[in-house]
Amino acid sequence: MPTKDPTELPVRWEFQTRPGGAATLFLMGELDAASTPAAWRKLDTELARLQITDLTVDVSRLASCDSAGLSLLYHVSKAGMPRDTRVTITGLSPELQHLLASFSAEDFRALETHKPACSFFLEDVGAATTSSLRDWRQQLEFVGELTVDVLKSLLSVKRMRWKEVMRVFEAAGVNALPIVSLLTFLIGMVIAFESAQPLKKLGAQIFVANLLGLTICRELGPVMAAIMLAGRSGSAFAAELGTMKVNEELNALQTMGLSPVQFLVVQRVVAGLLLTPILTIFAMYAGLLGGIPILLGLGFPLRMVLHEIQAGLHFGDLAEGLCKSLVFGGIVASVSCLRGLQTGEGPRAVGESTTRSVVSSILLIILADALFAAITFVLRK
Amino acid sequence: MSETRKILIEARDLTIGYGDRLVLERINFKVFRGEVFAVLGASGSGKSTLLKHLIGLYAPVSGDVLISGESLVHAEGEDRRRILRRFGVLYQSGALFGSLTTVENVRLPLDEFTELPEEAKDLIALSKLRLVGLETSATKLPADLSGGMQKRAGIARAIVLDPCVLFLDEPSAGLDPITSAGLDALIHELARGLGITFVMVTHELASIFSVADRVVVLDPKERAIVAEGPPAWLRENAALPWVRQFLNREKAHEHQDA
Repeated sequence: MPTKDPTELPVRWEFQTRPGGAATLFLMGELDAASTPAAWRKLDTELARLQITDLTVDVSRLASCDSAGLSLLYHVSKAGMPRDTRVTITGLSPELQHLLASFSAEDFRALETHKPACSFFLEDVGAATTSSLRDWRQQLEFVGELTVDVLKSLLSVKRMRWKEVMRVFEAAGVNALPIVSLLTFLIGMVIAFESAQPLKKLGAQIFVANLLGLTICRELGPVMAAIMLAGRSGSAFAAELGTMKVNEELNALQTMGLSPVQFLVVQRVVAGLLLTPILTIFAMYAGLLGGIPILLGLGFPLRMVLHEIQAGLHFGDLAEGLCKSLVFGGIVASVSCLRGLQTGEGPRAVGESTTRSVVSSILLIILADALFAAITFVLRK
Repeated sequence: MSETRKILIEARDLTIGYGDRLVLERINFKVFRGEVFAVLGASGSGKSTLLKHLIGLYAPVSGDVLISGESLVHAEGEDRRRILRRFGVLYQSGALFGSLTTVENVRLPLDEFTELPEEAKDLIALSKLRLVGLETSATKLPADLSGGMQKRAGIARAIVLDPCVLFLDEPSAGLDPITSAGLDALIHELARGLGITFVMVTHELASIFSVADRVVVLDPKERAIVAEGPPAWLRENAALPWVRQFLNREKAHEHQDA
């Protein structure tokens, strides 16, 4: 007795019910990934309504059936029916029978019951603390190894790969000049604009020049150059070394008896130390050049502006800025390389170490800057 | 070879290369439905490049790739996506997504391309994993699987949407002989049992003699196909002596050096 003919679907079915709860389900048409979702819902509803105890599913009239269709047949034969219902599937080709045999309720239950391991709060705190302590220890060891290797390399010309230093110098320094200059040029303009208004109220607008000279040379020049270095080149160092670690190139170096720090890190750190002061000098010039047009626009003659900048700046300020840049360069290059060497397994680890390199570099730059500010404050007293 | 069999893939006057450097010039071959077709050649002969053109990753310099008579090169938009959905591809490394578990990797195409209920997606993904013998590793991350297991998981993902053709790029590369033989048995089972057409690129002669119905041999110097036919037949009857030597595992490189 046909009960339904859902003609809107590419797959159709008929139920022939017999007394005693027995029934035969005839499936026709195409039971594939496109038609299965709707058929699944409708058949589930119908089977629940009919209360069958012995079901035969005849698929001999199906024009096509793929894995999605087989999953529905499996659902009907196992999970979708009450426990005591007997289900038989007839008319399946040997290939499809073989495929249907690969469906397993046991695998499905195992997946359903699988829960990712859940850790306790205290356990997490403990793990984070151990990880931080291990990280500090690694940093300390790395600084020691790096210092020894840099000194050894500088003392022995043969040990140092100067070609690599020049390559890094060009990529991280020369190629970064335009963006660093543009950035500090704009910052110089912003400082001049922002300070001109309040100083005007005090009748001290000409001191914008002094302010510009001091902030750019002592603070913003070195800091901005270092932050740009961290974002642009430090991340590249970490990604490069991280990829080498993932590709087992670092293991290859170690098995050849070469230290990755000696072979890869020293060159980057030396290049970083050399290029950051130069980059900072350019940043200082660009910052001042950015502020000067604003001062000219406020009506001050160029000679007066230059004189005020010169009067406000001392050799000590310039030296402080350059000392800072040297320290910042060392921090960015070494921290980025360390993060690269600490890379774990897989491509995601490279992304993580790159992020960690930028975050750690900027954090340490600001920390070092604060230390410099405190030390110079005490020294100037 | 009987031409009455249905042609699934046809390379017609296909010239491929990178920029000005041509790798293969005006090559022609046909892959029939249901067969295991192998592309054989030494390293650098353009096997993997040819495969990437067959699956539409790269556009050829000239010529065409026809899939069931439809041009893959000229197909665009939905037509192209419809053709590509019939392909399954196993990359050399397995190319599993490291952040997903094995079963999630296999389920991914079902999540993206079907509206099936969650239960159906899990059932299908697990059945494919059971087919490749990885049912107990469903919840492991790819990093916790061995190279051979990753390849098998890659095959499970490639066949989850029931492709009509499966492309394999160096399926045996980096595998031990036992795992490699297991992979060959799996290819054989999927081809004979499910009627999937295989196009495999390899230089593993054992694999070719074990599973391939037909093979084409590429010559990097000629930039052409220099032999085509069933592997056992080619071993005895290939026109070029170096191909016969190559298939008989003799010093094929002598020709390359000559």
